[in-house]
Amino acid sequence: MRTKRLRSVAFALVVAAGLALVVSACGSGGGGGGKTGTTSGTTPNGQRTFPVLKAVWATTDYMDPGLSYRLASWQLFQDVYIGLVVKAHVSCQTSNCTKIEPGLATTTGTVTDGGKDYKFTLRKGMKYSNGETVKASDFKHTIVRDFNMNSPGIGFFGNIVGSDACEANPTKCKDISGIITDDGAGTVEIKLKKPESDFEFVLSIPFTSVVPSSTPNKDTENPPPAGNGPYYIASYNPSKSFVVKRNPNWKKHEIPAIPDGNPDEIKAVMTDDQAQSAQLVASGQDDYDENLLPTDQLSHYKSKFGDQIRFFTTPSTYYFFMNFRLAPFDNLKARQAVNYAVDRQQLVNLRGGLGVPTYNFLPPSYPQYKKITPNPYPYNLQKAKQLVKQSGTAGQTVTVYTISDVAVDLSTGEYLQGQLKKIGYNAKLKAIAGANYFTIVGNQATKAQIGFTDWFEDYPYPSDWFNVLQNGDRITKVHNNNYGNVDVKSLNTQMNKLASLPPNQALSASTNAKWAAIDRDLMVKYASSVPYLNGILTSFFSTRMNVDCDIYDDNNDDVAQFCTK
Amino acid sequence: MATTGQEEFTLDTAAELAAEEGGAKAIQGKSPWAIAGRRLRRNYVALSFLGVFVLVVVCCLLAPLYASHVSHLGENDTNSGGVVTVHGQPVHVISQGGTKIVNGQPKIVFGGIPIGPQWGAAGGQYILGADELGRDIGTRLLFGGRNSLFIGVTAAAISTALSVILALLAGYFGGLVDWVISRFFDLIWAFPVVLLGIALGTALSVNGFHHGFHLFGVFIGLNLSGSSLWITILVIAFVFIPYIGRPLRGQVLALRNREFVEAATAQGAGSVRIMFTELLPNIASSVLVLFTLIIANAILTEVGLSFLGAGVRLPNPSWGTMIGEGSDKLSTAPGLSLFPGIAIAITVLAINVFGDGLRDALDPRAKIRIEHG
Repeated sequence: MRTKRLRSVAFALVVAAGLALVVSACGSGGGGGGKTGTTSGTTPNGQRTFPVLKAVWATTDYMDPGLSYRLASWQLFQDVYIGLVVKAHVSCQTSNCTKIEPGLATTTGTVTDGGKDYKFTLRKGMKYSNGETVKASDFKHTIVRDFNMNSPGIGFFGNIVGSDACEANPTKCKDISGIITDDGAGTVEIKLKKPESDFEFVLSIPFTSVVPSSTPNKDTENPPPAGNGPYYIASYNPSKSFVVKRNPNWKKHEIPAIPDGNPDEIKAVMTDDQAQSAQLVASGQDDYDENLLPTDQLSHYKSKFGDQIRFFTTPSTYYFFMNFRLAPFDNLKARQAVNYAVDRQQLVNLRGGLGVPTYNFLPPSYPQYKKITPNPYPYNLQKAKQLVKQSGTAGQTVTVYTISDVAVDLSTGEYLQGQLKKIGYNAKLKAIAGANYFTIVGNQATKAQIGFTDWFEDYPYPSDWFNVLQNGDRITKVHNNNYGNVDVKSLNTQMNKLASLPPNQALSASTNAKWAAIDRDLMVKYASSVPYLNGILTSFFSTRMNVDCDIYDDNNDDVAQFCTK
Repeated sequence: MATTGQEEFTLDTAAELAAEEGGAKAIQGKSPWAIAGRRLRRNYVALSFLGVFVLVVVCCLLAPLYASHVSHLGENDTNSGGVVTVHGQPVHVISQGGTKIVNGQPKIVFGGIPIGPQWGAAGGQYILGADELGRDIGTRLLFGGRNSLFIGVTAAAISTALSVILALLAGYFGGLVDWVISRFFDLIWAFPVVLLGIALGTALSVNGFHHGFHLFGVFIGLNLSGSSLWITILVIAFVFIPYIGRPLRGQVLALRNREFVEAATAQGAGSVRIMFTELLPNIASSVLVLFTLIIANAILTEVGLSFLGAGVRLPNPSWGTMIGEGSDKLSTAPGLSLFPGIAIAITVLAINVFGDGLRDALDPRAKIRIEHG
């Protein structure tokens, strides 16, 4: 998924400790019986609940699990929208955060027929925040709804039996025969055309998070679809604010892998202004900054709020896409030239040092990662100029796309534009607001030639990188994730083959080596994109918050587990 | 010359009386422009600020020389990996950061802070410091000034020209023509300048402005790309039309029934001739003052629009884009916004003070001013 720099859920200072205690003592209403309490108290694991978490959050594209492909939304969704299985809500620093755990289903599924048949049984008695019962047929509705909305996630479902018609005409999709549900028995069976190495991971991402069958098959934002996790999104004002509350129908420890959560309510204002959001937390007005700290003030914040800031190296790659279908980047030498013209260290500097330069597409945290040596594209402006001349593309007009309202992304776009000019292109800059950026560049009608993008893993398997972002068989007209329209037939075949292995072969040493070879070929032989750094992100808390409660999984702080001092 | 028959009383002109005095040189009548010029020459404050404005313009015009001989960097030339010699020591233009191994452990080293003002310590480079991409602020300030001044003056000129024509048409013809033009003024006037500017600037920046027709194979019209400076110029020119047009229309309305207009009509002068040879000269002083004052407003509007991303397109510099780019780095690199801010303040102050002086010189009783939301 895209863009993590906006992780800022600040917690409000606003409620003084004394007031919190009074409220707690009064026992403001809440869930009796087996329901989760709504007042300050202590959870069985010893962490305190508290009334309100005030946060500053990045803006996002949608607040609908079927449509959003931004980290800012997904961070919330992990505690709101639950799928058949879930990723463990544990820290990657101390535990295996890549482990798949049962979610709405009682187990992680029974896999038969050589990895082509998955069966799940739902937990009994689960309800959405709107009171509806979670039904097996809701899962099918969710997937059909994704197709109907032309969701960016529909590429994940092409291997399900009976999905061909939906793929051909998504908005007319009515049924997928390979998804068989039985509401009475609470069972979901998914039949695949061929084995799929990452299918369990796919079932853990928000595109497959189950929403009620009553949810309309269109962007539903105000309020967003009812939740089935410990929280639900009570209101959402796009690009301005949202409020998340406890799901009144969530029973304590209903799903062991998902914590009940500490804050009773999360109130967030949304901005992409990193300086502003950091200041809101520094001043104590908010308690959690979901945005990246302003990169030019890292030293200042570190020296003043050292204990309240955490840094995490993420499984992410920041890169420039280059469109294989459009001149000049339909030319290999032109793409190689750009790779030589980009000084990765300078782009790390632009992020204040929060990054590790890279020439691989896959991040180093993967077992399939093998650093490409020798460095395939050492910074060499002269060589870049030569390649541009040899390609016969010198002087062509190139428009660089980037995000306008995140300072570091804008600077990154300006840097690339400057470098392209230096190597002989007539380079121009087109900056677009972050909330719409990926939708626009992911639309073939835009004809984006080159631009900034980043990728944070949806799940920890290479197919999420290569098949989603660099496989020509996954190119779509809208919501296209392969912005560069990278399409190398031989590698497509190899990617598809590796992604179709039965789960028990997916992580073998030979499979890992093959993924690494794809990484190398894409970069060295085809210069398919310009990966330049693996991102380091920040979490900034007010002094009211207990930083030790922060659980950082692969990409996100788990807001539900935040606690106060 | 007056004669005295039987105590006949006549009025002599001052010139005739002066001529009667022995050897005295006849007083020559002075035109209003000459009188205004004399008043202006005596207004040392206004002239001083005119000098300041001229100095700013000259400095900005010399930007290419500064770039080639002093900073050795063009306005958009990045130099983020560069090293300069300051007091004999090599210094990175941008401080280098990243993850380093310290005592066997990875440690994040913060970086990315641009070099500050060197005031000559770096051999003329980075006199006012660098931005986050290593571009020379001094160079961008001068080139940005060229863009801001060009936009301001050109937009003011276009706006004034269109306003004059519309005001003459409305005031002279009256009736339906006046009604239509006045409603047009009202329509634009109803929107705050910046809001209308943002709306138009943003809309036109997407695909540019391509309207016109082909005549014998030649395109006649406007064909502007979204990043063209002319988009900003036309937007600003458009939004200021009523601020000049309305007061001028009022003046034309007052003049159209005066005797000299009737005389011209009686002599058979056509409408166009009356408008441009009788009415226009009589409102010329107001036009000149309004033009001067609108330049300052146009510059400020350009700054505002560029700051908000609806004016000059990055990476091209203007004082507005420079302030916008530096606004989130005020605590670590205040010069990024401060220097263009100072340049704007000086320029606009100079134009306004000179404009006031010009107004006083042309018509001391006039109360011409630009008012907008």
